[in-house]
Amino acid sequence: MSAVAQIDCMGESLLLLAERAVYWPARNTLLIADWHLGKADVFGRHGIAIPDGDVAFDLSRLTAMIAEHDVQRVVVLGDLMHAPPSPADRWPLALSQWLQAHHQLQLLIVAGNHDRVQATDLPQGLGDRLTWHASSLDEGPFRLDHEPNDVPGCYVLAGHIHPTYWLRAGADRIRAPAFWFRDGHAVLPAFGTFTGGYNIKPSNGERVWVTGADAVIEVT
Amino acid sequence: MSGVTRSRIDAWFNDNDWQVFDYQSDAWEAFGQGQSGLIHSPTGSGKTLAAWLGPLQHISTSARGLRVLWITPLRALANDTHENLQAAVTALGSDWRVGIRTGDTSSSEKARQRRTPPQALITTPESLSVLLSYADADNWFGSLDAVVVDEWHELLGSKRGVQLELCLARLRALRSDVVTWGLSATLANLEEAMTVLCGETHRASLIAGASPKQIDIASVLPESLERFPQAGPLGLALVEPVVEQIHNAVSTLVFTNTRSQAESWFDALLRARPDWLGRIALHHGSIDRKIRQTIEQGLRDGALLAVICTSSLDLGVDFAPVDQVLQIGSPKGVARLMQRAGRSGHQPGAVSTVQCVPTHALELVEIVAAREAWHAGRIEPRVPLTRSLDVLVQHLVTRALGGGFESDGMLAEVRTTHAFSALSDTAWQWCLDFITRGGQALAGYPQFNRVSVVDGLYRMTDQRLSRQHRMSIGTIASDTAMRVKWISGGSLGTIEESFVSRLDKGDRFLFAGRLVELVQIRDMTAYVRKSKRVSKTVPRWQGGRMPLSTALADSMLAVLSAYADKSLDAPELEVVRSLLDHQIAVSRLPAPGRLLVERCQSREGHSLFLFPFAGRLVHEGMATLLAMRISREQPITFTLSANDYGIELLSADALDCDTATLRTWLSVERLVDDMYSAVNLGETAKRQFRDIARIAGLVFSGYPGSGKSTRQIQASSGLIFDVLMRYDEDNLLLDQSRREVLDAQLEVTRMRAALVRLQDCEVDIVDTQRLSPFAFPLWAERLQSQIMSSETWKARVQRMADQLNRRTRKKQQRAGRS
Repeated sequence: MSAVAQIDCMGESLLLLAERAVYWPARNTLLIADWHLGKADVFGRHGIAIPDGDVAFDLSRLTAMIAEHDVQRVVVLGDLMHAPPSPADRWPLALSQWLQAHHQLQLLIVAGNHDRVQATDLPQGLGDRLTWHASSLDEGPFRLDHEPNDVPGCYVLAGHIHPTYWLRAGADRIRAPAFWFRDGHAVLPAFGTFTGGYNIKPSNGERVWVTGADAVIEVT
Repeated sequence: MSGVTRSRIDAWFNDNDWQVFDYQSDAWEAFGQGQSGLIHSPTGSGKTLAAWLGPLQHISTSARGLRVLWITPLRALANDTHENLQAAVTALGSDWRVGIRTGDTSSSEKARQRRTPPQALITTPESLSVLLSYADADNWFGSLDAVVVDEWHELLGSKRGVQLELCLARLRALRSDVVTWGLSATLANLEEAMTVLCGETHRASLIAGASPKQIDIASVLPESLERFPQAGPLGLALVEPVVEQIHNAVSTLVFTNTRSQAESWFDALLRARPDWLGRIALHHGSIDRKIRQTIEQGLRDGALLAVICTSSLDLGVDFAPVDQVLQIGSPKGVARLMQRAGRSGHQPGAVSTVQCVPTHALELVEIVAAREAWHAGRIEPRVPLTRSLDVLVQHLVTRALGGGFESDGMLAEVRTTHAFSALSDTAWQWCLDFITRGGQALAGYPQFNRVSVVDGLYRMTDQRLSRQHRMSIGTIASDTAMRVKWISGGSLGTIEESFVSRLDKGDRFLFAGRLVELVQIRDMTAYVRKSKRVSKTVPRWQGGRMPLSTALADSMLAVLSAYADKSLDAPELEVVRSLLDHQIAVSRLPAPGRLLVERCQSREGHSLFLFPFAGRLVHEGMATLLAMRISREQPITFTLSANDYGIELLSADALDCDTATLRTWLSVERLVDDMYSAVNLGETAKRQFRDIARIAGLVFSGYPGSGKSTRQIQASSGLIFDVLMRYDEDNLLLDQSRREVLDAQLEVTRMRAALVRLQDCEVDIVDTQRLSPFAFPLWAERLQSQIMSSETWKARVQRMADQLNRRTRKKQQRAGRS
């Protein structure tokens, strides 16, 4: 069993998963943010050698979470991809094949600033499987969005800033991707493995969980 | 037609009341015989003319085409050098033209040089590399006769030196009879320095310049230790006597070890003497070039009372009015201190005095150690680097741009350099794979496109990538620089991107002598405004952490021992007496033949201190080795600190340790294997990878004006390190970062020697109630520590979270009671 932290948010039970995702059991929904697919391809096109491998690894992490929880749909809170794919990019095929293997699964995308692409620009078969939302998506007490902007009357779940946290105690210190729960919104860590992070400085009363390979631990 | 005649030179020297030194005519003669060579002598003794008048005498005054390439390590020196070379040309009636080509040269000037090349061209290693990246490189160097490398000691031992070696190999391949001349300060390994520069096969001679001038090492002493810090890098306690010293001299150079130290001292001196505004100035590598030139001119004219500087003024032409040199903080090395001392008192026969200003108490002992080592003639070597694959792949891309290359010929050329003479066929193949496929065939590098092979010729044709590569050639020298500008307009200088990225909007820092506040970062420029609030905090920034040389560390141990048996007198030792005696009272003095170990418990945990006195680099390695060996036996997390005196291992639980276990931890057996594992476990390899990734072109941070287009290809070197570790563990650049940590950084050879020495030492284990005077600086410098852990992520983070929770609860309880 993979590690989780269960929390109560706006009366809903949410599971924070070590794989940098949130599972919402009441809606059988898995939330991830900032996958940045195709980032290695973009680097390669610019003459910077980054090995391919994280796409397969990230898909296997998704598979593991789906096997563990009763997931019927996955919502990506923006930045599914790093840049519009070129015809030679390999990730669209990998994602299509993965979706074929999970044909019951719905994949919803809230468009992020990197998703400058029309569904029709994607290879056939992939475009059809994705449901695009140009702006946010309201679900129960939550607004699912890419950028964490507060909205009166609802709690926003978002991505965009790739939160990481420096945990310091005694003379020890460690930096880890983090879930950041604030007053009007919560920010998920970036799901993609080949992504950078932004160090957050939470204020009093805000809650932060850090994630590692086998645990989710609250640190505030 | 022939060159300038010797009689004309003698006449010119006569007119100026100069005299031709023997070493100068030796150098001219050797040049005439087609030899290469290395001229070494202290600053200000006519080295430039020794190298320059050879070519002027032996190459026709009406020669066409580029004949002499003059390499300078700093582009800031190019103008002064130009003035000197041109003055000789004019005075001696030669028809030669001397040109400059650096990053500052305008494109119209570059075009003019292309049409009619000057007979001599002053340039930097980077700009030479850029020249070689153009397809017409062969035309440029078709008539080259000689290369002169100024301040070679400054390049030797650095990756820029390796870059230059590769460029020189190319020039020799184009013109087999080109000769190479180097100018260098005094080093312990001059023969080696010469071979690396001139090549193995070429006839070369070592030419010793004027004899070393007399140098005195003195100190600005605190009156007592009572209010003098025991640690810390700033040492502002001595501002008053330093003000006094500056006041009493005509013109003073105040050398510091880091830029933040320079900023702090400039600020403190102005606070002490507000009337010195405009009479003292600040000079370091980040300050805008125009401002720096104004300051240098001020020094030359004698208009400035003092300039507070970093190594930015270590090199270059002399400032005649300067009659005093101060060194703030540890000199770190004997050769370096001598170089700095030599910047004053330039009249022949005059004694140069350097006044050392300690920043903390134990530096008083270091000053005595430096003096003793200097008197005994113990000067450090500069060890040349080998197998720097990052520099090699950068050079290969450069050559792929400049007309392309074939594998066999290129390999033969590369192997003529000292740095790559032992390059294996496998490593060579890996480099070719790296620039064409991104890495080994087994690992997939999607869409990678940099260099392509057509009919056996490696070439780079993509315009955008070519531009990107030329922009990045200069990156060997430094971290990516960001411009610093006033929000209201006007440039202040440049600053490392890695420093700015740690700041938030509104954060204040001292820059170019002003307290500024960060407003915003846009297009690789940090915009600042004057800060109204008062703050004394100076953030530390990259670079400048020089280790104490072995020569100086050994000398320090000898000085301590001489203090203990009362066989040495020095005014510095009188001042530091109470501290040394306190060390004796609570523990012992470190001594040759003994290893002092202290254990101490504090709020932060249990500390184990060792004082091998082997220099910071060896200590960093030793700390990592010990931590790895201990953590192999039990899950534990260490915070490791090292300085020039010793190491600290801090852990949450106490360690069982007696002399026998210590000896196994310090064993020489399996040293290299264990160090490899240690480097993998720790953070040092990843840190080392920063530079490697930049030079090899894996990190591209854009450049001013490149705007958004490059933002999507920005990733930190740490992220790239991780992704390579996961999918291409055999990537030789990863291997290089481990190797650099082991060889260059941790100096395995020196460490082996240190461990062997420790095996024979008597071990003294002392439990102390509080930090001893020698332990204190380690504690104070813990900011620079690294972590090594064998706990699981979960156990470790849980422990830290619990620790934080306990602290919060305690705080709440205290708040509840009051």
